[in-house]
Amino acid sequence: MHHVVLDRWGCGSSPVHRRDPRAKMLATLLFLVALATAHHSYLAVSAVYFALLVTAIFAAELPPAAVLRRAALVLPFSLVFAAMSVASGDTTRAISLVVKSYLSALVVLVLVSTTPLPQLLAGLERMGFPRFLLLVVQFLYRYLFVISEEAQHMRAAAAAKSGSMRQLISRRRHFGAAAGAVGVLFARSYARAEAIHLAMLARGFAGHFRPLAKSSFRKLDAAFLAGAVAAIVLLRAAIEVWT
Amino acid sequence: MHIPDGFLSTPVWATLDLAAAPAVGYFARRAQGLEQSKVPLLGVMGAFVFAAQMINFPVGVGTSGHLIGAALLAYTLGPAAASVVLTAILVVQALVFQDGGTLALGANVLNMAVIGLLAGYLPYQIWGGGRWRRPAIFLGAMLSVMVSALLALSELLVSGVAMPATALRVSIGLFMIYGLLEGAITVAVLGALESMNVGFLRVPEASVSHRLKWVGLAAILLATFGALIASAYPDGIQRLTSEIGLGSHGRLRISTPLANYEAAFFKSGWLRKAAAGLAGVAVIYGVCALGGRILGRQRGE
Repeated sequence: MHHVVLDRWGCGSSPVHRRDPRAKMLATLLFLVALATAHHSYLAVSAVYFALLVTAIFAAELPPAAVLRRAALVLPFSLVFAAMSVASGDTTRAISLVVKSYLSALVVLVLVSTTPLPQLLAGLERMGFPRFLLLVVQFLYRYLFVISEEAQHMRAAAAAKSGSMRQLISRRRHFGAAAGAVGVLFARSYARAEAIHLAMLARGFAGHFRPLAKSSFRKLDAAFLAGAVAAIVLLRAAIEVWT
Repeated sequence: MHIPDGFLSTPVWATLDLAAAPAVGYFARRAQGLEQSKVPLLGVMGAFVFAAQMINFPVGVGTSGHLIGAALLAYTLGPAAASVVLTAILVVQALVFQDGGTLALGANVLNMAVIGLLAGYLPYQIWGGGRWRRPAIFLGAMLSVMVSALLALSELLVSGVAMPATALRVSIGLFMIYGLLEGAITVAVLGALESMNVGFLRVPEASVSHRLKWVGLAAILLATFGALIASAYPDGIQRLTSEIGLGSHGRLRISTPLANYEAAFFKSGWLRKAAAGLAGVAVIYGVCALGGRILGRQRGE
C-alpha cells in the first residue's frame, strides 16, 4: 500500500529526524499560520517558504521528487475550486487556493515523514492533547493495514466468484452483496477488537504506549525551533516591508 | 468534503478550531467514561471505516459509491464514541493522507464528527426504538452527509471562496445524491448486521426530553432544506460578494497616490492579523491544556 512509504521515510536518522517532535510541530504550526495569514504579497512569501521546505527536505535526506509529488494529492480538490473561482472572475483567489493548499500539505508531509506517527502522538500528548483520543488514533493507524487487507481479500474473493458474471447479476443483488460484505467486515473488526483487548489485558497494558526512544527537549531542539521561528517570521516580515 | 488549508479565512478557521476543541474533549471524556476496553474497539472501528470505503456499491451505469460511515458508527457505538472515532479518522487523514488541512481540522471535525454526526443521530434517537426505525436510519444517514457537506460549503462561502451559481447548484445536487446513497447503504448494512447479531445495534435510551429532540430535528430539517431552496436563488449572495470585491478594488485604485501610507497600513494590518492568528492558536492550546488539567484533577479525586 502506498502510504507505507511514509513509515519508511520516517525511519531516517538525519538531523531533522532526530529533533524533538514538539520542536518540529511548533515550527510547522507557525509556518501554517504565517502562510494562512499572508495576503497582499503571499506569492513572494510562498516562493520563499517553498525554498525553506525544499531545504528541509534535502536536510532530511528525503527523496525530493517523491515528496513533492505526494503533496500534490491535495491538488485535485484545490483545482476544482480554483476553476470555480476563475469562472466567477476571481483569478487571484484561484491562484492563492492552489498555492496555499499545496504548501500547507507539503509542510505537514515534511513533518510526518521526518517524525514517525507514534513519536508525533507522544509529542502531542506531552503538549496536553487528550490521551484517549491519541490512543484511538494510534490504534486506528496500527490496524488500518490489517483491516484494509481483509477488505482487499474480500473484494478479491467476490471478484473471483462473480467478477465475470457481473452483468448477469441484477444491480439490486449486487448492492445487497456489497452491504453483506461491509456487514461481515464490521463483525470481524468488532471481534478482532475484543481479541486485542483481551491480549492487552493479558500483557498488563497500563493505559498508554511507551515509545522505544525516550525523547527529551534538548538545547539542539531549542536551537532548531528558534532558527525555524526566526526564518519564518523574519523572511515574511522582510517581504512585507520590501513590497 | 475535507477542507484543506488555505481555503478558510483566518477568522473562520480560528473560530472553528476554538469551537471544536471543547466539543472533542467532551465526547472523548464521555466515551472514555464507560469502559477501558473502548480504546481498541474505537481504533479498530476507525480502521474498519477506512477499509469499508474500498467496497463499492453500484449506483448507476458504470458508477459506484461507498459508505461514509458517520451514521453507521453512531447507531452501533453510540454518538460519543462515534464522534471520537470520526475525529481520529480525520486526524489520520490530515496527517497521513494529506486529505484535509491541519488548521482546518477544527472545521472538518465540527462539520463531520460533531454537528453532522449529531444531526444524523437525532432521527434515530427519536424513532430508533419503534416502528419507524428503518426510515429513521435512512433519514439520519442522509442528514449526516448533507448537513456536514452544507456546513463545509457555507464555511467556504463565508471565507470568500466564490462559486458560480450553477456550480453551487450542481454541488448541492451532488450532496443530495450522496445523502440518499448513504441512507440506502446504511439501511442495507445495518440490515445485514442485524441478521448476523441483533446486539450490534444500540437501542437509543430516552434521556433527553422529547420536546427538545423534536425542536432540534425540526431546526436541522429547516436549515438543510432551507439551504436547498436558497440554492435555487443564490444570486443574492453572488451579487453581494461581487459588490464587496468591486468595492475594495475601487478603494485600492483611488488610494495609490498615498503609497507610503498604504504600505504602512498594510504592514500594521498583517502584523495585526498574524498576531490574531497566533493568539488564536495560543488560546486554543490554553483552553485544551487547562481543560485537560481540570478534568484530570476531577478524575483523580
